[in-house]
Amino acid sequence: MELFTLYWKLVGAQVRGQLQYRVSFVLTCLGSALLNFVEFAALALLFTRVPRIAGWSLWEVALLYALAETSFAAAEFVASALDDFQIRIGEGTFDRVLTRPLGAFFQVLAEDLALRRLGRVAQGVFVLAMALVHLSLVWTPQKLAMLAIALVSGVAIFFSIFVLAAVFCFWTVEGKEATHIFSYGGVTLVEYPLDIYSDWVRRFATFVLPLGFVSYYPTLFLLDRPDPLGLPDWMRVLSPLAALALAGVAWYGWRIGVRHYQSTGS
Amino acid sequence: MLGSLLLYAAVTRVAFRRQLAYRTANLAGLVTNAFFGLLRASLFIALFQASPQSTIGGYDLQAAATYTWVTQAMIMIVCLWGWWDIETTIRSGDVVTDLARPFSFLGYWLARDYGRAAYFALFRGVPGLIFGQLTFAGGLRWPSTPIDATMLLVSIVLAIAISFAWRFLLNVSAFWTTDARGLGAITGALVMFLGGFVVPLRFFPEWIQPLLLSLPFAGIIQVPSDIFVGRLTGAAALAALATQAMWAVCLLALGQVTVVFAVRRVSVQGG
Amino acid sequence: MTVDTIIYTRELRKTFRVSRRRPGLLGGLRSLFNPIVDEVLAVDGVNISIARGEMVACLGPNGAGKSTTIKMLTGILVPSSGTAEVFGMQPHRQRRAVAQRMGVVFGQRTQLWWDLPLRDSFDLLRYIYRIPPRRFAHNMAIFADLLELGEFIDTPVRQLSLGQRMRGDLAAALLHDPEVLYLDEPTIGLDVVAKHRVRSFLQELNRERGVTVLLTTHDMSDVERLCSRLLIIDHGRLLYDGSLEAMRGHVDDEGTLEDTMREFYERTSRELLV
Repeated sequence: MELFTLYWKLVGAQVRGQLQYRVSFVLTCLGSALLNFVEFAALALLFTRVPRIAGWSLWEVALLYALAETSFAAAEFVASALDDFQIRIGEGTFDRVLTRPLGAFFQVLAEDLALRRLGRVAQGVFVLAMALVHLSLVWTPQKLAMLAIALVSGVAIFFSIFVLAAVFCFWTVEGKEATHIFSYGGVTLVEYPLDIYSDWVRRFATFVLPLGFVSYYPTLFLLDRPDPLGLPDWMRVLSPLAALALAGVAWYGWRIGVRHYQSTGS
Repeated sequence: MLGSLLLYAAVTRVAFRRQLAYRTANLAGLVTNAFFGLLRASLFIALFQASPQSTIGGYDLQAAATYTWVTQAMIMIVCLWGWWDIETTIRSGDVVTDLARPFSFLGYWLARDYGRAAYFALFRGVPGLIFGQLTFAGGLRWPSTPIDATMLLVSIVLAIAISFAWRFLLNVSAFWTTDARGLGAITGALVMFLGGFVVPLRFFPEWIQPLLLSLPFAGIIQVPSDIFVGRLTGAAALAALATQAMWAVCLLALGQVTVVFAVRRVSVQGG
Repeated sequence: MTVDTIIYTRELRKTFRVSRRRPGLLGGLRSLFNPIVDEVLAVDGVNISIARGEMVACLGPNGAGKSTTIKMLTGILVPSSGTAEVFGMQPHRQRRAVAQRMGVVFGQRTQLWWDLPLRDSFDLLRYIYRIPPRRFAHNMAIFADLLELGEFIDTPVRQLSLGQRMRGDLAAALLHDPEVLYLDEPTIGLDVVAKHRVRSFLQELNRERGVTVLLTTHDMSDVERLCSRLLIIDHGRLLYDGSLEAMRGHVDDEGTLEDTMREFYERTSRELLV
């Protein structure tokens, strides 16, 4: 796993720099955790008024929320380096990446890891733990497997979205904000049951951008619920497939993006 | 006196025009506002459908949906978080020249903020509300009388002042700490939550509402939004406005005090 | 193309399609779907053949196509047509293989890690280029001596002077024993002493290790002191390829190299226009 060691070496430089400002790191980490926990607190508040929303109880929605948050935050963490991608393109530092005997994507990804984002991951895991405790599910090996698979697939799905957002930068410098709808908007969307949205949103989040497979469908499986919208039961376990499909699109998009860069320069 | 006012008016105008340059960013932001507005509106619709009563926290469905769209409009106007213009000048040292100028440091930045806010009111707030009006079945609940509209305007003006004063204090803390932004990160969540942005304060348990409504944060989002949807009218609205005004004055005064201390610190340290 | 040719281009062409926005707000919208596209011919049929061990200077006005040519040789850009071959491979097709055997120094952009001590940059490069430990130690010792890196090898790169940074960049580009070294304006902004150091280093490198050097520069003394061969590129075309003396023979050999160059440009651009 030579690449892995190389990744840690490259990223290590950045990470050590962040840890030097210990107080700042702790504060922003905590701030990140708190900011996102507030969203859950608001949810809990809503449930003080009604026992169920769209047929879901608080802890059932909490499970949805936690799966979405944890996957998203972990992906956001790993994809830290992609935030600045449009700057790298604009400044021409991507050229240097191309002159080195390593994969371009690997080099770009190894440039940063924002440790403060672990705060959001911790928040997600915390709510997940709470939800599982309160739900007293009947655990089977399949369900345990599904939980793990859902998280991994979720990370892959969100990571692919971040990659696609960065690939966008090969063509335009200004469009970055627009992609936030799919990443930050996407996670908020699937923190709640897809039942509350209109039809085309559910279809979009299932068949076009498979965000539903991050939280909604795995949760249906864990809760032994059929899809209220009539989709067949076996669809609930398709998360890994959805993740692979989107990852494929992202990978292909990256290659097209690099080829475009090599045709047009910066 | 008149001279100063003209100066601040000019500062406001310039700040407004500065924002005009960021057209594509604003468009992208508008799309984001529309998205989240729709999302939260969907959530509230589901909430009300699940409730046996037709009102929750004193809002009916139309008021609650309007509330979400108004708050989406308000966040950019009051700029709830992520504003570090002054802190940047402190870190770079440019602030020293700003402090030496012959007009109020606080007043200058306040005037700038109103320019910025006016831009967002026109180019984010209004389009966002129109979008909400078009997408919510039956339309939103708009202020119905001229008095309500006037109170709304006053409330928004005061909300901007409170938000500005809060951000000002956070920024100016950079004179004493290297980690103003860390502080902002922690308090940001609090301000959003206590301001009634994520969920209306009236959805909180009854017993805690009086406390929450008396905090300055309620005056940033909750009060103007409540006046808009008609949740606060007449005498109650006036009382809320008075509370807003009190907080605006207190926090701005506190801001001014910190400026005095900051100037002292700068002259001792040499910038 | 002989066995010894290490860099080879034939009818190398690069066209850029630059889209222009239409004016006004509506124009901006239209530009999204139907932009005005200008075609810019940056490199127009360049034929170069450089043998192993040569030290070649590449001159020309800004925007002449020098950087674009270098970018095609280093795998950053893909040619629109024609061939570019380094070590017998096409740089954009076998990017990593070519990258392993070449070194690049961009005069204005450093490849060193900004916040880290210089030493750490070298260490990271050791892993990126998979340099065997003994070779790495050997090269480090030699470069540290020749470029006098010892005084600042533990200083963060952002605190280095331009001259020190350039020396660091040179060492960094050579740690993995590349066979070809591309230098893009290496002495720009350096003082006389620093320039001298860099030049003697490059000469030593070429002499002792046979490293092929292709250097773009505006500095005439770089050309005079270092390079036996001169390529002049203007408007994407190769105007001249030969020795310095022979070029002097084309114009009246009076005055400095600068004057000679200026006269050469004027003469050849007149010839081109005709």
